[in-house]
Amino acid sequence: MLVTQVIANGLVLGGIYGCIAAGFSLVWGVLNIINILHGSLILLGAYIAFFAHQLFGIHPFMAIVPAAALLFVAGYLLQAVVINRVINATVLVTLTLTFGLNLMLDNAMIVAFRADFRKVTIEGARGSYEILGAALPADRVAGMALAVLIVVTLFLLLKYTRMGRAIVAVRMDRDAAALMGVNVVRTYALTFAIGAALAGAAGAILSMIFPISPTTSSVYLGKAFIVCVLGGLGSVPGVLVGGIALGLVESAGAVLLGPDHALTIAFLLLIVLLLVRPQGIMGRKGYQ
Amino acid sequence: MTNSITFTRRFLLAATLLAGSAMPVLAQDVIKIGAPLPLTGALSPEGQKLQQGYDLWSETVNAAGGIKVAGKAHKVEMVYADYQSNTPRAVQLVDKLVSQDKVNFLFSPFGSGATKAASATSEKYGIPTIAGTASSAEVFDQGYKYLFGLFTPNDTLTEPLADLVKQKLAGKVRIAILSRNDLFPLALSQDADKSARKRDMEVIYSEKYAIGTLDHSSSLAQIKALKPDWLFVTGYTNDMILVRKQMSELGLNLPVVSMIIGPSYREFIEALGPLSENVLSATWWHPAVRYTGEGPFASAQVYGDSFRKKFNVDPDYTNAVGSLAGTTLQLAIEKAGSIEPGKVRDALASLKVNTFFGPIAFGPTGQVNSYVPPVFQIQDRSPTVIYPEAIKTGDLKVNAR
Repeated sequence: MLVTQVIANGLVLGGIYGCIAAGFSLVWGVLNIINILHGSLILLGAYIAFFAHQLFGIHPFMAIVPAAALLFVAGYLLQAVVINRVINATVLVTLTLTFGLNLMLDNAMIVAFRADFRKVTIEGARGSYEILGAALPADRVAGMALAVLIVVTLFLLLKYTRMGRAIVAVRMDRDAAALMGVNVVRTYALTFAIGAALAGAAGAILSMIFPISPTTSSVYLGKAFIVCVLGGLGSVPGVLVGGIALGLVESAGAVLLGPDHALTIAFLLLIVLLLVRPQGIMGRKGYQ
Repeated sequence: MTNSITFTRRFLLAATLLAGSAMPVLAQDVIKIGAPLPLTGALSPEGQKLQQGYDLWSETVNAAGGIKVAGKAHKVEMVYADYQSNTPRAVQLVDKLVSQDKVNFLFSPFGSGATKAASATSEKYGIPTIAGTASSAEVFDQGYKYLFGLFTPNDTLTEPLADLVKQKLAGKVRIAILSRNDLFPLALSQDADKSARKRDMEVIYSEKYAIGTLDHSSSLAQIKALKPDWLFVTGYTNDMILVRKQMSELGLNLPVVSMIIGPSYREFIEALGPLSENVLSATWWHPAVRYTGEGPFASAQVYGDSFRKKFNVDPDYTNAVGSLAGTTLQLAIEKAGSIEPGKVRDALASLKVNTFFGPIAFGPTGQVNSYVPPVFQIQDRSPTVIYPEAIKTGDLKVNAR
């Protein structure tokens, strides 16, 4: 059944898109930084998973933990040492900084890992199930489940932990949070670190699904951007809703208008949404 | 006073020594070749492969003393410039290479699109230019005199493919075409469409996907519903790996699956493992060809050995065409007995030589028309040549549905 297959594809893809965008959305929402580096951080996570599998035989899903941990540390240091210096500057300055860092990291990865496309291939693990006439690839569905789990964990983390409440407080009003005793500088570094860790985790999941090359970072960044705006800036449930919306629209658009126009439809949707509901599907007005 | 005289003397002595040591380099004849390459950005895998080919050729030639021009040896100096996979930048760099770096000859940027864009500049300066990786006829129909292309036209790939499939499959063949929306992949798909219709095949699906597409599952689901006999996919390595992997995820098995470009690169087989089995493709060169010829590489075998010695891997067609660009230019310069652009241009136009890549001679438009590109299929995880007859090492295998 073509219809069920298209819906299934869209849902699976959407869950993964949500995970790609979660860290990006968090950093944008809290730090007001459009982190151009996000796509490259995802790739770094994918490379960690790739080498963990190649050198130690670790399954990419297991590599989520080390990939997220390493990127958490890297993200914390990057924020504390570099980005924090311009944190109060206008969006253009931080945008330029992360853009420059992105160029450096991409080219460093080309030198370190070659520009070739690599992929984690796991022998015998590529079965697929059939439900209502739609083929559901096991790898992807498991990847999507993990991606959703990660996003839900982030949601719970922000909602119920002290650190999470501090992040939300800083996002709502930095000055008021500081007056309430929240260490704003540390919260910024933590937020950026969590954003980077989410990118690392997403990368590890993606390493089984998409080929890895330093040249593809902009593709992931583009998806994160659309999902974020669709779902609502800084809203965690929003990235899942935005991701699934994008997944379904791309999936259906490819069949209805041809694969060449899948992205056209996604961007059209983006423009329409910006006109009628600029805060995104799940975003709240005046909460940016 | 004495001190200052000693100082002056020492200074003069040092200056003379320095000048003396610099002299032989200045006096030596050097042929400078400008090569804009996409060393970073989306096309960097291809750019780096091309550079390996250029490097192997220039190092081999220089180790043997250089290019002989009217009895005198000239060393080769490659002048590289990274255009970051950005075509307008390639055009600017060609201008810079000619006007500032004073190169004698040029190798084109990668692919048909960038080659076409840059060719106007090299033509303006009258610099003989070898286009290693442009195959689309649209690049060579501009009436340019200084542009020479080493790839045969795209239909030399699609015609034998269509023949082979037609012979193998009984009844009316139904073909689905999925193409990357990019100059070369689109041109190739149009030729595949023509080759198929010419043989009375039915084209039941023909769509384009955008550059950078990550998910092909919708188009593949649609193709699965249509049940074609032959799926023809065009694009670059990354696209092909994605499409093949997602075909398997959707349980899409078709009798014949052909992909251009991708299967010719070892990365394709490495990334896909068993999924690469029976994927059909065609390229302009393959390490399995057995040509012998002039120039620094006496045969395809010698070329393969030299390449493996330097880079520890088998050469692919992009590596090989890089070295062929050098070889062709070298043979033309030797034939002309001069490095004057006009004379070398005429020597290229009338060149008829055998090389490790195959026989090389250019047609009236400047595009090569002298060799038959091989068709191959991945069998037991290595490419097996199935056409032309003279060099084939296996037969076309068809998948069970």
